[in-house]
Amino acid sequence: MYVADPAYWSDIQRQTLACYDEALLRQVAARLVKPRNQWPVEDLIERSAAATSNPVVIDRRLQDLTPPARRVLALIGHSRQPYWNLGSLVELTIALGHSDGLQPALELLEAGLLYPSLRCTAETPSTNGVAGKKIKSFEQWMGTPGPSGLLVFTPPQIAVRAIGEDLGLPDLSESERTAACGVAGNAKPQAAVQEADGLEWLLRLAVLWQQVSGAPLRRTQQGGFFKRDVERLQQDVLLNAAPADRLADVPDAAFLAIALAEQERMIEEVEGEWRAGPLPPVWDKGLTAALESLWMDLPRLSAWNPLDGWRGGEPQTGNPFPSAYLLAFLLLARLPEGASVRPETIEEWILTQHPYWTSESLRPSRQKPWLGTFLLGVAYQLRLVQAVRAPTAPTGETPVPPSTDRRDAGPTGWRVRLSPTGRWLLGLAEAPSLETVYTQTLLVQPNLQILAYRQGLSSSLIARLTQLAAWENLGAACTLQLQPETVYRALEAGQTFDSIRLTLEQHGTRSLPPAVLDSLRTWSNKRDRITLYPSATLLEFGSAEDLNEALARGLPAVRLSDRLAVVVSEEAIEFRHFRLTGTRDYALPPEKCVHVEADGVTLSVDLARSDLLLETEIPRFAELVGGSTADGRRQFRLTPASLSAGRSAGVTLTTLETWFHQRAGQQLPPAARLLMTAGLAEPPRLRRHLVLHVVDEDLADGLVQWPQTRELIEERLGPTALVVAEENVAALRERLSAAGITIATI
Amino acid sequence: MLNDPVRPTSGARIPVKLHRRVCLVQTEDALLAEELLARKKLAQDIVGRLTDRVLLIRPGRVESVIQELQKMGHTPQVSTKDEGRRTK
Repeated sequence: MYVADPAYWSDIQRQTLACYDEALLRQVAARLVKPRNQWPVEDLIERSAAATSNPVVIDRRLQDLTPPARRVLALIGHSRQPYWNLGSLVELTIALGHSDGLQPALELLEAGLLYPSLRCTAETPSTNGVAGKKIKSFEQWMGTPGPSGLLVFTPPQIAVRAIGEDLGLPDLSESERTAACGVAGNAKPQAAVQEADGLEWLLRLAVLWQQVSGAPLRRTQQGGFFKRDVERLQQDVLLNAAPADRLADVPDAAFLAIALAEQERMIEEVEGEWRAGPLPPVWDKGLTAALESLWMDLPRLSAWNPLDGWRGGEPQTGNPFPSAYLLAFLLLARLPEGASVRPETIEEWILTQHPYWTSESLRPSRQKPWLGTFLLGVAYQLRLVQAVRAPTAPTGETPVPPSTDRRDAGPTGWRVRLSPTGRWLLGLAEAPSLETVYTQTLLVQPNLQILAYRQGLSSSLIARLTQLAAWENLGAACTLQLQPETVYRALEAGQTFDSIRLTLEQHGTRSLPPAVLDSLRTWSNKRDRITLYPSATLLEFGSAEDLNEALARGLPAVRLSDRLAVVVSEEAIEFRHFRLTGTRDYALPPEKCVHVEADGVTLSVDLARSDLLLETEIPRFAELVGGSTADGRRQFRLTPASLSAGRSAGVTLTTLETWFHQRAGQQLPPAARLLMTAGLAEPPRLRRHLVLHVVDEDLADGLVQWPQTRELIEERLGPTALVVAEENVAALRERLSAAGITIATI
Repeated sequence: MLNDPVRPTSGARIPVKLHRRVCLVQTEDALLAEELLARKKLAQDIVGRLTDRVLLIRPGRVESVIQELQKMGHTPQVSTKDEGRRTK
């Protein structure tokens, strides 16, 4: 559902106009705001956006338009859907009898009353081809359609001013009267008029939401669903069951629910999966608002249509159904008070006027009847139309029963007319009062089953029940089952034990059974045992007094310890009360905040830059030395005992090396490595040696190389120091003497 | 962890250190925290214990922690900034 706030639309208008080339912008503004001077571009954009919020200006500009252009705006206004595919608007224009279907849309674009949709955000449906480039002309924009075609929008405050324009549509009840000699078109309103309660699709959407909450639907790259999910949807009993007051079968009903849920943003695509989003907030505003939202979804349905059913994943070249739906409703709106018409009569008119069906190249498979399916299967259940049983034949024969074969004959036997809701949605009447007067409609049984009588259900109650219990049956009396998972889901959505109890008691026909209350209380209490903060802000105070002072000043935080408190959102913190001594973002890589002292085992932690991860990491392998230093640092020391404890707790040499690299920006100091690996290396030995010191390196090299002396030298300790075993001293002295070297003894 | 020699007088700004985007689990009692720490798969994602009831979760491991808690039969209350709670 799109917001009606003019400020929202003005903002989108500004962004769109900013994408226009200056020449084009001046051309559009010249017609919309009629500037007398050469205003700057920014002023033109601002004044253009402001002009569309001014009803008087809009009415004047509408009078400047040609009738076909006014009709296009009126059609958009009747639909309440601000976004339309340009192709659908062209189809509507041609169906209304104008041979050049594009010209009115082009006129509206140039008049600044229709805009190309260029944004690609969650709020707007899609973008068109020229994103990132300035539009020089609308013809250029039309020549570069995006993957989803050309999408245009008009702010509701413009479109609504055009409602009332004569669309030139015929009264089809007259043609029926002529054809049937006055029998068919005069069905008396009091003769078996049926109107649905409008809850059927809300209930089906609720069921679908629960299904997707339980297990997301996976999409293929082509946009379809994986086979297992297709089978799951096709075999779902609730989603595919016929409504209690079925007038026509809806093909691929479960998939229509998917298409509607997508438009309602009840399901969201996340990483190739459709996951459950929030239930529509509009449901809390009542049935009329909920039906209005679904009405606005109809022109945006592309993956489902009443002729083919689900077409998700298939490449689509044109979708004539949105324009045909609107034409059908507007033709119904032309009927006199109390008159009804056969769906086939409307379909015949559409087939002869709509450019898609009048095309000579249309395949026979596309000419099968579909409007009866849509009006009696979808629109009737959305409370948009009333069904009138076909009048009894003059001879007294029984009425023709409704056909169940939609493909061959269409759902005959029923006539349709607009309901008060449908008339209101088209902008032709005041909003009807659809709110139920029966509030006590639930029967909660001791076996945790809830019986919900449909006449007392409302859209807001459906939303609340959908969160707290699983739908098991949809009918005149629906059944739901309370389960731990569903109650947990309701609690996660913001409900509490008391609000759940209140809902069940407020709408219950009897008091809640004690067993149900006990179960609800048990499940609620269990949830309170663990609280998880996925992305919280932790406040670390210098002392318990500081934390107390902060709480006294209104800090909306939960106390975790005497110096730690947590807030869910940082926006809740009033920073004027605080002086930040440091900040640390845990989504970023670890920060270097440790300085290794010269001894290699003393680590100074910069408290302003340190984080909780460090606070938990460092005590695993180092000991705290005293308190914090005056310069805001805290010292830890690596000791044999601390590292031994670290090894026992799983700290490895690699872990330590990585930690020093991340936190200190340097390699593991040798002293730390020594302490870490000391227990693992071969134990050192203490030995006595007789060392022969020579005057220079060359002499030492000679002694090591000469075979006579080489065998008497045990080890070379350094460049000029050689180890000699005591028993070899005499032999060495003798051989060196022969070479002319005398060993001096100290 | 902070050492500010100047005590905030009434109206003075309170020194505080902010830890942003932290993932924490707070349990009802210390015994439950012990139970979580004893769970091998959960312990891998717990980097520390801030208090006897508060565990610090490794960044980016929230979903797996929630899944593991649910496997254990718990129904953790997930507090997020949008609405205080969210649906899993």
